[in-house]
Amino acid sequence: MRTIREFEERLHVDFARGDIPGFVHLYAGEEASAAGIMLHLNDNDRIASTHRGHGHCIAKGVSVKEMMAEIYGKTTGSCRGKGGSMHIADLSKGMMGANGILGAGAPLACGAALAAQKLGHKGVGICFVGDGASNQGMFLESLNLAAVWNLPAIFVVENNGYAESTSVEWAVASDSYVDRATGFGMPGITVDGTDFFAVYEAAGEVIKRAREGGGPSLLECKMVRFHGHFEGDAQTYRAKGELEEIRANNDCIKFFQARIRDAGVISAAEMDNIDREVARLIDEAVAEAKAAALPNQRDLLTDVYVAY
Amino acid sequence: MAGPVVGIIANPVSARDIRRVVAHAGSLQVTDRANIVLRILAGLAAAGIKDVVMMPENAGIRTHLGRAMLRAANTGEARFPDLAFLEMKVTGQAGDSALAARMMRNIGVAAIIVLGGDGTHRIVVSECGNVPIAGVSSGTNNAFPETREPTVTGLGVGLAITGAVPASTAFIANKRLEVAINGRCEIALVDVAIVAERFVGSRAIWKAEGFRELFVTFGEPGGIGMSSIVGFLAPVKRASPYGRRVIFDRPETAAFRLMAPIAPGLIEPIGIERVETIDFDQPVALTVNAGSIALDGEREITFSDADAVSVTLRDAAFRTIDVAACMSHAAMKGSFLEPVGKRPAINMSRENFDERQPVSAEQGKAARSLSDHADHPRIRGAAAC
Repeated sequence: MRTIREFEERLHVDFARGDIPGFVHLYAGEEASAAGIMLHLNDNDRIASTHRGHGHCIAKGVSVKEMMAEIYGKTTGSCRGKGGSMHIADLSKGMMGANGILGAGAPLACGAALAAQKLGHKGVGICFVGDGASNQGMFLESLNLAAVWNLPAIFVVENNGYAESTSVEWAVASDSYVDRATGFGMPGITVDGTDFFAVYEAAGEVIKRAREGGGPSLLECKMVRFHGHFEGDAQTYRAKGELEEIRANNDCIKFFQARIRDAGVISAAEMDNIDREVARLIDEAVAEAKAAALPNQRDLLTDVYVAY
Repeated sequence: MAGPVVGIIANPVSARDIRRVVAHAGSLQVTDRANIVLRILAGLAAAGIKDVVMMPENAGIRTHLGRAMLRAANTGEARFPDLAFLEMKVTGQAGDSALAARMMRNIGVAAIIVLGGDGTHRIVVSECGNVPIAGVSSGTNNAFPETREPTVTGLGVGLAITGAVPASTAFIANKRLEVAINGRCEIALVDVAIVAERFVGSRAIWKAEGFRELFVTFGEPGGIGMSSIVGFLAPVKRASPYGRRVIFDRPETAAFRLMAPIAPGLIEPIGIERVETIDFDQPVALTVNAGSIALDGEREITFSDADAVSVTLRDAAFRTIDVAACMSHAAMKGSFLEPVGKRPAINMSRENFDERQPVSAEQGKAARSLSDHADHPRIRGAAAC
């Protein structure tokens, strides 16, 4: 969670300075969801992410340095600098890609789940969508497909309250994502997405159920995002003081730290050490990304098509 | 406003937790929650209630209510009381229900109708003080609220608070459990379970191997959830002047095993070491020194050997409305009966009405000896904590 936060906060600064080509959508504030879910997964399990995908990548085990290089558009990036923030992928880690098309991860996760079912290796396919993308037709079609084929698929709705700038209250007719799952005959549950332990426990159960042949589930994580929809978003749709309030009182990392410190699991000094190690990793990732080469004209037509 | 005002607290996110995955628990749609409120409103209106105030939420109930009431007004079917929403910030958290209950108490509502499960009722009772409540089952685990058509709940509440039914019949005093931890006090309406997990997590409890201790205010064989364990071992009624404590053991080494429906759809073997009776106002220390405390089925507090924890059963801690008794009384009095022809089709004297039928079969007289005075000395409300 700390790695994701540090990664995103550094991008926030570097993007504002004009160092980064393309567009970035930051995951800061939502870390408990990615971490709580991905801790249950292995490389056989595949995830399909959103355009806010850095947190999912890091939690799934994609190299932080390769990710940073990718976002900087360098040949050392996880997609050799051709994907950028919204198309980071690493199939070796089961990360099928961030996705610029809203809701497009859902059918991909169904495909991965179908493959796992046919291969019998007990893997699962997980898609992440935002509250806005969950209104997309292909998301609802995927719920249907997963239900009728009893796929080991999990649909995670990361509900941060805003579809870009539109509040959930204005844009979701059924009002509850769980109601949608119920309509397709699969269990749906809501958890506090700012509570790592709540996400971890709930995700463990839905993933276990899917592995054992119990079929698909929908997991809604209610959460907050600390930045705009995209970097540069003026966020005029937020209430006055809202950002300051959620950063002060609804920070999943602060909650996590308080919980494990109070339980005597880890000392403040050990946590500080982790923070220092993470900061050093991000420093190195940025330095190496900046020093790496950009793709050149000869690279233009490589890695574009896949031969079967 | 004319006449008594009724408050409604409808939890939009009850019945949403992990028990849908681990135990096939039901999931009540938001639109159905709105329909339940409409049926309550219809019942209240028929019983003469003019004004209702409701907790606002942003999960859809308010939106659907608004649409339905507008349609009813357009078609001339406006059979609802005036509905207002409390002016409060909506956070989407359990604190909303607590704040709404506190605000309703402060503005002097005559009763609060609660839509939710045991957890929602617990939160409302923690803040409503002497205001009587009536429950509508719409949660995962509904040991506390009785299953009843909401229209009838609306009618019964209206009858109770308009004086159509005597207070001695309409209101019941209820037990509750209080958990003291380092000076902090939390309450439970049905059960306090001590479990091994040392984190709150997704809150629900369903892993029987982690059960350590259980305290209940009541437990009946027909119940659901943790209190059903007591229901099978040594039943206790809501009105009985004592509670029970169960000490668990591992199923494989226990003195005996019990199969109990500990959650909707989940019937598990439970290892039992012993069962004890607990009396009012006697703090009981725990036998375990670390774990989590689940209040009415949901983990709320973690504790370790550094914490001082005790559980105390309290008598007459809050009031509920006995809807069944109110309806029986109204039927005996012919409250909804009106002769319109020259010759009544039925005997209007009510002499055929069998008054030997108990007004509320489950409730003993001892538990209903309350007046409707809000400051009745037996009602301590939240102040006890």
